[in-house]
Amino acid sequence: MAYSDKVVDHFNNPRNMGSFKKDEEGVGTGMVGAPECGDVMKLQIKVQNDTIVDAKFKTFGCGSAIASSSLATEWLKGKTIEEAQKIKNTDIVQELNLPPVKIHCSVLAEDAIKAALTDYQKKADAQPADTK
Amino acid sequence: MVYTPCPFLLMDNNQPSTHPDPRRQLQMARSMCWHCQSEMSGEYFCERCVKVQPVSKDTDYFSCLGVPRRLTLDPQKLEAKFYELSRAFHPDFYQSKSPTEQTISLSNAAVLNTAYRTLRDPIQRAEYLLGLETGSVKDIRTSPPADLFEEILVLQDILEEYRASEHDSDEGRRLRDTLKTEQQALERRKEEMESRLRELFVDWDKLQDAGEATSPARVERDRILKQMRDLLSHRTYINNIVNDLAATIA
Repeated sequence: MAYSDKVVDHFNNPRNMGSFKKDEEGVGTGMVGAPECGDVMKLQIKVQNDTIVDAKFKTFGCGSAIASSSLATEWLKGKTIEEAQKIKNTDIVQELNLPPVKIHCSVLAEDAIKAALTDYQKKADAQPADTK
Repeated sequence: MVYTPCPFLLMDNNQPSTHPDPRRQLQMARSMCWHCQSEMSGEYFCERCVKVQPVSKDTDYFSCLGVPRRLTLDPQKLEAKFYELSRAFHPDFYQSKSPTEQTISLSNAAVLNTAYRTLRDPIQRAEYLLGLETGSVKDIRTSPPADLFEEILVLQDILEEYRASEHDSDEGRRLRDTLKTEQQALERRKEEMESRLRELFVDWDKLQDAGEATSPARVERDRILKQMRDLLSHRTYINNIVNDLAATIA
């Protein structure tokens, strides 16, 4: 089995690799892992006025997991919170042409997005309304 | 050298349409011999016509190797059984047999190999049993032991730093020492987890041997399965980072 060109491209030139400070304002952090293969993924979003202005990731795992999270950060940028909620793992599978054994990598990326959004929401709710 | 055609090629399209399709035969229930239709009582061979019988699709690896569904298996007994069956399905004994028999013995040998590889390793055996007992293994729980993930990410950062550093500079040596200490600590944790797993294996087998269907027994069953699942996934994360560490600072 060979990786698709798109996976290889994301793997060789990962977009938006890195991280934000967790406690920075407007930053939501999602950390997820796949217990079967032991891959670990951290995905962060930076939100201003309900829009994701920046996204970063760090993934330690296989090529597909890296590509899935790299693609996810690309897609997240410029989306509103509501739009970001709608990103599905199947979109990632389609875009990257992932084989069945690598579908769990895209699930991991979707869960990372969800976790980051939840974390952002939690932080935003904890703040008094006028400082948002 | 004698050219032996692949049994899968032999069963191809050239057969008369009345000939039973071996692929359908493979899917047949094991209760009846595919050849003489008599009721099956032997393990892999019909007692009446002595033809080899396919491993049923529903057969799990434990029954495939004729061992009980237990986690503390005797490796020697397992190996002996594997050799015995490997011999029984060996292609050499099927060269003069019908294409159907060749196909069956070949696919049996393949299943047998996978079964043995899985059950031989205690960790894989436990993971396989979990899949059998709790249904879908595909059910991916990605929610983390958060502190463990944090730890892994920090370690991976130090690893990157070390990879980028001059290995024989002071900085490189300092990073290497840090990583080595972490590696040893993680290996100890992995061993601890494995010994806790072994305890759970014993608990599981005891529960199975008792064979009670009471509600405390069910609670105990769920406790063991859940703890095993958590330990196994923790162990996988730790195993990965230990391997990364070992490969980088070796």
